[in-house]
Amino acid sequence: MIAGWIASGLLLAYGAMVALCLGLDRHYRQVWGIAATLGRYRLLRGVGWLGLSVSLLCMVAAWGWAMGPVAWIGALSVAGLVLTLALPWWPRMAVASAIGGPLLSSAVALAWVLG
Amino acid sequence: MKQTFTQAMAWLHTWAGLIIGWLLFAVFLTGTLAVFDAEIDHWMQPEIHSTPVSQLDAAQRALSYLGDHHADAKSWGISLPTERSPGLTVSTGDRRSGTRVELDPASGAVIQPRETAGGSFFFRFHFTLNLPRTFGVWLVGGLALVMLATLVSGIIIHKKFFKEFFTFRPGKGQRSWLDFHNASAVLMLPFHFMIAYTGLVIFLLMYMPAAVDSLFKGDTQAYAKAAGNARQETPRGDGGRGQPALPANLTDLAPVFAEAEQRMGPLAGLTVLNPGTSAMRLQVRPVLGNRIELSKGLNMEFDGVSGKLLKDVTPSRASLLTQKVMAGLHFAQFGGYPLRWLYFVCGLLSCAMIASGLVLFCVKRRRKLADKPVHVQRWHRVAEVLNITSIAGLSIACVGLLWANRLLPVALEQRAGHETTLFFVLWTTSLVHASLLPTLQAWRQQLASAAVLCLLLPVLGLFGPGHDLQRLYLELAAVGIGLLLLVAIRRIDRKVAQAGSAAVNAKVLGAKS
Repeated sequence: MIAGWIASGLLLAYGAMVALCLGLDRHYRQVWGIAATLGRYRLLRGVGWLGLSVSLLCMVAAWGWAMGPVAWIGALSVAGLVLTLALPWWPRMAVASAIGGPLLSSAVALAWVLG
Repeated sequence: MKQTFTQAMAWLHTWAGLIIGWLLFAVFLTGTLAVFDAEIDHWMQPEIHSTPVSQLDAAQRALSYLGDHHADAKSWGISLPTERSPGLTVSTGDRRSGTRVELDPASGAVIQPRETAGGSFFFRFHFTLNLPRTFGVWLVGGLALVMLATLVSGIIIHKKFFKEFFTFRPGKGQRSWLDFHNASAVLMLPFHFMIAYTGLVIFLLMYMPAAVDSLFKGDTQAYAKAAGNARQETPRGDGGRGQPALPANLTDLAPVFAEAEQRMGPLAGLTVLNPGTSAMRLQVRPVLGNRIELSKGLNMEFDGVSGKLLKDVTPSRASLLTQKVMAGLHFAQFGGYPLRWLYFVCGLLSCAMIASGLVLFCVKRRRKLADKPVHVQRWHRVAEVLNITSIAGLSIACVGLLWANRLLPVALEQRAGHETTLFFVLWTTSLVHASLLPTLQAWRQQLASAAVLCLLLPVLGLFGPGHDLQRLYLELAAVGIGLLLLVAIRRIDRKVAQAGSAAVNAKVLGAKS
């Protein structure tokens, strides 16, 4: 269970970073080649911050309120850097991988509710 | 005005970063390795086997050994096998005059592990740079302070910070180095601040003794007493009421362990005071890291004959708790292996941040160098050589310490000292090598040596005694680092190829015109 929460927290941090990244004009163009509307940028940033919050909750579920936030900050840094380094080589793939976080964390949360 | 302020910050960042960067990289690399100090210790003592044995059984074997060999000692110490260090160590007396013996936790037989500098070498090097302790701690503290200043000045000069948050443009020379330096610094900023600041807080009393000096008039023992971590007095062996101590048997350990474990989490060891007498006391201590607060010195005390709890753990006072929590954040003893790995990866990325900053300094100046006066060129060369030595050379020396551990004869006198000497010999050789060869070639050869030493570590392990999963993980991690180094070497090769073709093009163009 703890491993599930940790993995969810990490993947969600990555997914949130992808959303925040696409919420920036420069990076949205980098991935899709065109600009998006201001509304979409705002939506993406909103999703990003939401993802970061849920990621924090996962880390707290794994480690508690004392240690969880420390682990969360570490997870954010690593996720952001992985995205930054992947973006120039595999931009679409880097974005597509963001789906793993929500999927896994839903599965873990479901298992937690049922079990 | 704004322009000049940014320029001043850029100047500060460049030169302060360069001067502290060389040593700071060493502090960060050895600190990153020290995250796994117990695991490296274990790898470097292959005579110790990890066996699945309960702490209670191991403690019984230790006690029967101590009863047979040191029945008249004033105190017995036992370090129990734990998740991180599977060995069983017994000791008598205090750390200096007493004896220490390593036992096999499964059989209780005496084993003689090789003498080694161990992972503790990296730990000590991390905060003293192997200099005399006080001087080293002050120097590393100074580095941490300047690092905080370079972080702040770095943020100020990197103005486009939020707009280019995830920007990395590879294959563009100087631009790529700058992008990587920015990304790794900005994204890891909370970690950098936390680690530099908490590092300073650990030695708070040494750096800022004024408060304790004035409150306790320089009496550090009185301070320690007030802070609640005074050394406990050993009860005299007279039963406490003037009666002579009578021979007595030790209480059943199972309920004692159960109570202590329930209160403090996993246990690390115990001390028996006045063993074999009616004045017997049992002190049980937990492993560091059942909570963030660094729980060094924390223990529970039991009556050795009746098993009654005499002294419970006391919660720390707020000011002390703050300091201990900060130290705990730095030491990464909490949160088990997942958090340890997270710190390790973050630490490696910090090393990469520092290294990219150092390389950037030289890359930026390389192109215009030909037009500069000779003394500028000489100083540039010094910077290049020191970069190679402090980054690639130190990496060779670190993995070289593991090789020295297996290759030096087991029975060598002063073995640990020879291992350390080899570490410094390798580092010095790197300096000489870097100053004799052209820059890129020296980089390439030294990184390749470090990569080969890392990649072949499992082979070295295979030929020695003592194979277990923990050692295998360490070797696999070394292989991973070796592969990363290979990536770095490939980039240098491409750079050399580019430079080569550029030179050819220039010649062809020159011939045409």
